[in-house]
Amino acid sequence: MNKKHGLFLLSVIALAALPVVWPDPYILSIVASAGILIIAAISLNLLLGFTGQLSLGHVAFFGLGAYATSLMSLGFDVTLWTMSEPLVVSPKPVWLSFICGILFAALAGWLLGKLAFRVRGSYFVIVTISFAQVIRMVALNWVDLTEGPMALNGIPPLTMWLPGQGVIDLATKASTYWLVLTVGVVSYLLVAALVHSRIGRAMIALRENETLARSVGIRVTHYLGIATIISAGIAGAAGGLYAHTVRIIDPDVFIFMFTITMVIMVIVGGKGTLAGPVVGGLLFGLLPELLRGVVPPAVQWMIYGVLMIAVLVFMPKGVVPSVAGVLRRFTRTNAARDGQAVIRRRAA
Amino acid sequence: MSNSNPAPAPALALEQITMQIAGLTAIDKATFSVPAGKIVSLIGPNGAGKTTTFNVISGYMRPTSGTVRLFGHDITGMAPEQISELGLARSFQRTSMFSSCTVAENILMALHLKGRCGVLHALLRTPQFRREEADLQEQAAEVMRFLGLTARADECAANLSYGEQRMLGVGLALAAKPKVLLLDEPAAGLNPSETEAFKEMVRRIGHSGVTVLLVEHDMHMVMSISDHIVVLNYGRLIATGSPSEIQNDPEVIRAYLGSGIAHAEA
Repeated sequence: MNKKHGLFLLSVIALAALPVVWPDPYILSIVASAGILIIAAISLNLLLGFTGQLSLGHVAFFGLGAYATSLMSLGFDVTLWTMSEPLVVSPKPVWLSFICGILFAALAGWLLGKLAFRVRGSYFVIVTISFAQVIRMVALNWVDLTEGPMALNGIPPLTMWLPGQGVIDLATKASTYWLVLTVGVVSYLLVAALVHSRIGRAMIALRENETLARSVGIRVTHYLGIATIISAGIAGAAGGLYAHTVRIIDPDVFIFMFTITMVIMVIVGGKGTLAGPVVGGLLFGLLPELLRGVVPPAVQWMIYGVLMIAVLVFMPKGVVPSVAGVLRRFTRTNAARDGQAVIRRRAA
Repeated sequence: MSNSNPAPAPALALEQITMQIAGLTAIDKATFSVPAGKIVSLIGPNGAGKTTTFNVISGYMRPTSGTVRLFGHDITGMAPEQISELGLARSFQRTSMFSSCTVAENILMALHLKGRCGVLHALLRTPQFRREEADLQEQAAEVMRFLGLTARADECAANLSYGEQRMLGVGLALAAKPKVLLLDEPAAGLNPSETEAFKEMVRRIGHSGVTVLLVEHDMHMVMSISDHIVVLNYGRLIATGSPSEIQNDPEVIRAYLGSGIAHAEA
């Protein structure tokens, strides 16, 4: 346990030191955008890895978080069916908007949970895909509110108060990087705290054996609902980070490819492990950038594909569980060898 | 729940339960009760409707008609998790556990109803949460001692021997200290010495005050530990009584051996 805490702390310190050690703005922005997807993957892992429900509409929460925080921070007006006067919302402070984005995504998660958990397996997958598609269509066509394909421009960056400097914009590459890292660490700790509790155990029990879980008194829809709400909230935070760092969003934040990327990160890293989405995300988020310029683009995608297949063939549970397994076997054989040495010494 | 009744309500009572599955009558107007604190066995040839009866009692199937009462309280048509909350637990016929978790984790999951802390406590790691968590760990350790699985606590459940897995299956039902325990063929596939150990455990469970309803094919086990036996055949109740009464019941002998060789029994 303590060894794990130490490893976690060490990784966080190492990641936090990157902008100091290697202040290349290009590298920092690549790692930061990979980081945003990793946060989304962490949130997907709560659903896919711990409750065992494959949501292929996860990008909906990401996009809703992005749109909600953007609209709140830019201000908007909207006329609903029965209203004679448009509802005007003035621009709100960025952090308040950011929190609104998280809450809005969580609300959408609650709604999807209500709709989708009547069914399981492939039916659930289809409901989640449809959900994301419907939301994308709304974002594309409700031009009054979302500007549709014209995109929302000039989204303000997040801010921070520093002693002596007052409130500053978090717009430089390094500050964006630290911002993403902070939100990432908080998300990771939230999921970790949840998983190592009675609630997390109930979720894992549902993944392992739903019939048995019900017989020991675990309320299925209640815990799946909690998982979806929290997962959607974290995905919304990732979307909010995206909006406030890229500063422009259009309905493409809802593309299916984002969901697929998250699923790949989770599966390759190891679903149902805390570190899985982080490792998978670093691997597949950074790989295309590392290969850029080294090999032509076509070859890049081939390497990407081959690597993915190789991981799934040789480490079907993902990178993290496989590496952990090898390490455990290694320490165990060492312990056994030490034990035998003791026995031999005694015999002699 | 009626408290005016002077006689204590039986732990479990089935009244005129009928269960039709796609035109087949799996249970036909079965009425029997399980007195509190007793070990009662439900026996009958394959296809008699024993597991269906269990599913109806524990809420996995809603009976076509009839009423199930738990300590006088109508539980017909409730969801399994609600019934479990009222103090009824069951084990399953096929090995049933959370396979990729360790033995200790399995028991902790089964102790779900013993915990109270919600999401906020878990996320903020409040003192109340820590206290409850320590308490649950202790209870889990106690259950593992009872099952004799303490040495296997950190082993993945899938790596246990078959006998240990069956033991864990019962332990999961037993963990939250139910008032009524349904065991569906707990000794199926066990070797004689494992069966003996199992018999001993069921007896200990019974002595601790838990009401047990057992489905089992091992007649030695049934006859030696039951206070009372209920016999089903083709979904109908054909006999109830003490083990010795059941052994001599001509209807039961016919159901098990067929009428042709009933004479040869003597």
